[in-house]
Amino acid sequence: MIAFENVRFRDLSVASLSLPTGITTLIGPNGAGKSTFLKLCAGIREPEEGTVTVDGASPRQTEVGYVNEFPDRNLLFSTVKDELASPLRFRHLPCAETEREVGACAGRWGIARLLCREVRDLSGGEKCLVALATACITRPRVLVLDEYDSHLDASRCAAAERILRSSGAVYIVRCTQQMETAAESDQILYVEGGSIVHTGAPAAVFGQLSGTPFYPLSWRCRP
Amino acid sequence: MKIVLDSVTHARPSWSLAAKGTFTPGIHLVSGDVGSGKSTLALLMAGLLTPDRGTVIREGIDKAMLSFQFPEFHVTGLSVADECRSWNLEPEPVLASAGIMASPERPAHSLSRGELKRLHLACLLSREYDLLLLDEPFSSLDCPGKEWAARQIGRRTAGITVVFTHEQSTFPHIDHIWEIREGNLADCGGMPGALRAWERAPAIVKRLVAEEKIPADLTQESIVEAACRTQE
Repeated sequence: MIAFENVRFRDLSVASLSLPTGITTLIGPNGAGKSTFLKLCAGIREPEEGTVTVDGASPRQTEVGYVNEFPDRNLLFSTVKDELASPLRFRHLPCAETEREVGACAGRWGIARLLCREVRDLSGGEKCLVALATACITRPRVLVLDEYDSHLDASRCAAAERILRSSGAVYIVRCTQQMETAAESDQILYVEGGSIVHTGAPAAVFGQLSGTPFYPLSWRCRP
Repeated sequence: MKIVLDSVTHARPSWSLAAKGTFTPGIHLVSGDVGSGKSTLALLMAGLLTPDRGTVIREGIDKAMLSFQFPEFHVTGLSVADECRSWNLEPEPVLASAGIMASPERPAHSLSRGELKRLHLACLLSREYDLLLLDEPFSSLDCPGKEWAARQIGRRTAGITVVFTHEQSTFPHIDHIWEIREGNLADCGGMPGALRAWERAPAIVKRLVAEEKIPADLTQESIVEAACRTQE
């Protein structure tokens, strides 16, 4: 499990929290602390107080794939192919294997036609797809995805959901402002004002949010 | 006042967009998949990109504004207060209207992306324009923020407003729907008849259309009202 114990970082504080395997989705207002929580899960930030562990180890000693909410902050290289290959090249994988993995991953994410494009010429959604594919290419144990879907259309969101489910990641911790996507998760955390206010299965958490804008539109339209 | 896309085309090696149509005053929705050309069309309509062929004709439009989909592209001030003042606005009322709790002295780029989007929209929507082009205005906003933005946009009664988005749940009042399909801009028509012609409509809208419960508008209230109808 991913465990938070007496964690404090800037405005976020989490007394004691365990995330089980599967997909955990954070929802909540802008500025609530969701991105901070995700950075602590990914080991990008370390808590000022308390501990965050992934199956007992520091996140920095764990294989983590991470997507930043600002699409341009994910992209380091000029071409899509180089970006996608970068996690494999950093591991010194043989060129032939890198080439094979890049082709397979691009095919899986439906971005093979983008491989030779310059990242600066991509649309917002295409940048997000490249960032997602790059985060997944080494099949990390933990995927931490910060509003990866804010520039994706409905069919790409559905495809991403399928690919993430079969990615092999033991823990997927993400945040989204698409409540229909959140409703597909194994667990939801509702974050507000730097605190985890509600946790549980989607039905339980959305039950607490009935009558708020966070309640999924399709649930409001149920016959 | 109108903007006419006179057989406009824009092509890149692996991709092309063709658009023909007339945008009159009102609120238009342009829908399309990732990479379909929504942002390119917005740039063409804004005059920031020259079409390969055809012409973008603006009539009666003196003041135009384009909101980029990435709010970070708009930041010109170091702090939140500087950013507000760059729009000739005092920070406090802007932050209050956008529901941002952050200090005005905070660096603008240290805001969360949703807060930055709220800040940008609050500044931008404080002014009037003849032509307002909004590229993905709802991305990164939280659910209350999307509703706030939809209300602000829906309040515009003058000028031409074009909302380019793949948003599935929250829309402002909409008068006309367009859709980019396989590189061509298709005119789905005026509301509510446009909902029948909108191929990639949100799942909930498609379901309501299939059940002949046509929402009068795309606002959440209209969609929930249509869903709750017991009979036509």
